[in-house]
Amino acid sequence: MTRLDVLRISTFVIAVASAPALLAADGDPAAGKAKNSMCVGCHGIGGYKTVFPEVYSVPKIGGQHAAYIVKALQEYKSGNRSHPSMRAIAASLSDKDMADLAAYYASDAMKAAAK
Amino acid sequence: MNNIILATCCVMLSAAVPAFAGDPAAGQKKSQTCVACHGPDGNSQAADFPKIAGQHHDYLVKALKDYKSGARKNPIMAPMAANLTVRDIEDLAAYYSSQKGLVLKY
Repeated sequence: MTRLDVLRISTFVIAVASAPALLAADGDPAAGKAKNSMCVGCHGIGGYKTVFPEVYSVPKIGGQHAAYIVKALQEYKSGNRSHPSMRAIAASLSDKDMADLAAYYASDAMKAAAK
Repeated sequence: MNNIILATCCVMLSAAVPAFAGDPAAGQKKSQTCVACHGPDGNSQAADFPKIAGQHHDYLVKALKDYKSGARKNPIMAPMAANLTVRDIEDLAAYYSSQKGLVLKY
């Protein structure tokens, strides 16, 4: 990959990135906290591993970019990203739910950076 | 009794998995192509690119392997992961998982 290719990809991605970033900005962290009962059983337990369909640690999402969380949830909902549990959960979420959850999990970014 | 057999099998299985965890220093050297999007230490500045600093080692390995195999589809990550060896993947995962960034949040 040449430097120019990297530049082209970066420009493309930044353009794509700005759209969900606007959506994510609408999320309410407090509302997200009230909706995360489906998340904590896996993402809220230290060292917790999935057992189906493969065994691996459940990813940390505290401090993640809100826009990325929304994108991941939308991809699970649309079926572009496959994980049985996450597909089922994301299918039940509205755009507002996703934005609120993303705002809640992203809200530790400052704390995470200071650690 | 069945539980005991199951538990024994689990212990044997986990012991059979090699405990190769990758070399963080080697991973850092191999991370030049990652920096452009994920940032120098995995704390990306662009909101659409995930932070990977502090992510679990085995989750990073799984993600890269899935991009490489095509199980996870992404036009940017697919060509990146295609060129990585198993050793590269382990080293990169060791590097990023050892950085400070993502946290466990209840």
